[in-house]
Amino acid sequence: MTVDQRYCREREGNILSRTLGDIGLLYHRPSGQTHIVISPVPEILEAMEDDSPVSVGDLLQRLSRRFDLGPQETALPKIAAHLADMAALGLIRAVA
Amino acid sequence: MKHRVTLRIGPATFRIGSAWSGPIGELRRLYADYPAPSGGLADFTVRLEPAGLLRRWLRPSIFITGDHGLADAAPMSLAHSLLAAEMGMNLQMALGWRRHLLLHASSVEKDGRVLLMSGESGSGKSTLAAQLGERGWRLMGDEFALIDLAAGAVLPFPRLVSLKNRAIDVIAADVPAARMGPLLEGTAKGDIRHMRPRADAVARMDEGAPPALLLFPRFGHASAIRPMGQGETFMRLTQASTNYVALGEAAFAALGRFVDEVPAMAMDFPSGDEAIAMVERLWEERA
Amino acid sequence: MSALPLVRALRRPESAAAFSPEQWNVLIAMARAERLIGTLALRIGDGAVPGEVRAVLADARLDAEREARQALWEADRAAAALAPLGLRVVLLKGTAYAAAGLKAGAGRFIGDLDILVPRDSMDAVEKHLIAAGWEWVKSDPYDDAYYRQWMHELPPLIHRDRDRMIDVHHTVLPLTARQTPDAEAMIADAVPVSDGLYILSSEDRVCHAVAHMLADGDLAGGLRNLWDIYCLLGEADPAALETRAERHGLLPHVRQARRLADALYGEGRTRLTLWDRIVIARLLARDGWGRETRKGLRFAFYLRSHWLRMPPLMLARHLLTKWRKGYRPA
Repeated sequence: MTVDQRYCREREGNILSRTLGDIGLLYHRPSGQTHIVISPVPEILEAMEDDSPVSVGDLLQRLSRRFDLGPQETALPKIAAHLADMAALGLIRAVA
Repeated sequence: MKHRVTLRIGPATFRIGSAWSGPIGELRRLYADYPAPSGGLADFTVRLEPAGLLRRWLRPSIFITGDHGLADAAPMSLAHSLLAAEMGMNLQMALGWRRHLLLHASSVEKDGRVLLMSGESGSGKSTLAAQLGERGWRLMGDEFALIDLAAGAVLPFPRLVSLKNRAIDVIAADVPAARMGPLLEGTAKGDIRHMRPRADAVARMDEGAPPALLLFPRFGHASAIRPMGQGETFMRLTQASTNYVALGEAAFAALGRFVDEVPAMAMDFPSGDEAIAMVERLWEERA
Repeated sequence: MSALPLVRALRRPESAAAFSPEQWNVLIAMARAERLIGTLALRIGDGAVPGEVRAVLADARLDAEREARQALWEADRAAAALAPLGLRVVLLKGTAYAAAGLKAGAGRFIGDLDILVPRDSMDAVEKHLIAAGWEWVKSDPYDDAYYRQWMHELPPLIHRDRDRMIDVHHTVLPLTARQTPDAEAMIADAVPVSDGLYILSSEDRVCHAVAHMLADGDLAGGLRNLWDIYCLLGEADPAALETRAERHGLLPHVRQARRLADALYGEGRTRLTLWDRIVIARLLARDGWGRETRKGLRFAFYLRSHWLRMPPLMLARHLLTKWRKGYRPA
């Protein structure tokens, strides 16, 4: 996965979420898997709230407005890796 | 099959077939007072078969299977046939039950509310439930707790209690022989002896109640109680459930609700008497 | 006792309405053992059945829905992993039927994901799947070499997080088998079902299912496979099927499957050969407790399945190796 890869959110209704105390739970309907999510996954999902596809760079910009993520050259690959993992789980979708 | 019996335990009915009369006779005796299955329709078939062609006569050993089975299950000695039958029923529940969320936990009821105890084998949850069941609590189950998917109530599954090793003497001292099964020595889990729950626990096996407290007991440690966070509780219970994944969305909703509503604590205890005192104290504080 | 009650209930579900409790117990045990309980549940529906049976059938439908959902998710993940290769990934068996909403998929037990890809892309497919989290199941060098050299698939891979198996095929029968179905033609004529995923044409679906059941298998789980074939036959054009079967070298097998499907699930008007009757006896070898019966017949079919797939000398070598490792047919 490169930083040029763009992603969009999983279709509305495919993910159920629930907060229990200090953790977030996501139930992913197509796979039937439950994911326990911790930061930065909820923040990334929130930053992708509108349904248009975003690149890793776009997302880093959006997140940087709210969080201190350090220098771009270290933050960018980290975000890219998170997005690739989330896409593998089906929480977001890679778009061509 | 040559020998057979149909048993109902809580909401589940089992048709058990056996190549030998021994285990069927034991089951008939120990389950004699259980409410009869309605109409003879079974949810599951259990089979106790000879392991290998000649094994029926030559050093007989039992292969446990049925609707659901494990291909690599180790054969058991015919001397442990009652245990084999119980394991056969457990196997069907663990792999096949879909009508409730199934938690690997013991449960007891008092004042119309349920205390659940979850933990690995050896945690003491089974012994503790059996002891409470002899001291004013209603024993609902020593192994599986069934959670209603819609209403959240706990339903009983009061099969025979499986007492292990040191627990056997502790409990058997207070229980009439008619409620006890044979002593099974040298099983894979050590010595085992089965015990029929008290008559009222059996008679009320269709009566559920809402959960009030969840404990994760741990035998053999200094007394300590630690409240458990909801995240940890949820994770532990998904691991303690044999059908969480199979039930999908319904289990996600039911377990989320359970964890949200029921306080959970880890409880370390050094002895049975100490554990009972701790449980009674926690129960009163909760009320 | 044979599995006839199960076959009859699938053919005419309304015939079960008058069943006694023990007849239901027998039917349910057989259907579970043959992995046809979900299919049976959908065939019977919510008709006039006792409440206890309705609960059992509802459980089976729930399991079947989950099977289908998980199978489609696995297919989706495989498609995503293989997308960069830009090749046709053809879904086979249960996943294909579920993806296309075919009658054969209704209530079907699915299990592993089976895909067919061009033979010359096998190395690339293997690399991409491993990069996406699939891992080898077998580490036994004999089995591994056997798969790669002689079978029609990669050694099975299992996904490290999802614990689901994928079988990657490049042809329909092992290279050692006597028939040589034309896998390239099957891929070329496959029809798209979703992003990057294909299923076989309706005639090839029959040929593939038949190849598995009659030319390859020892007929374990044969009632389920024959039910697939019975359903798939209803979607294939009979004349086109004959032509296609001939091309794949499977014409006698397809014809036999048609006779067997008609005899067990259809009108039962076709004349059966002696060999058909032996195969049917093998298919129905199941008692009312869900046990397999007729051990001798089953063992004969086990040997035959290997005989069909391998030249005799290699068969002897393979069975000997398996035997030394303690494998015995169940």
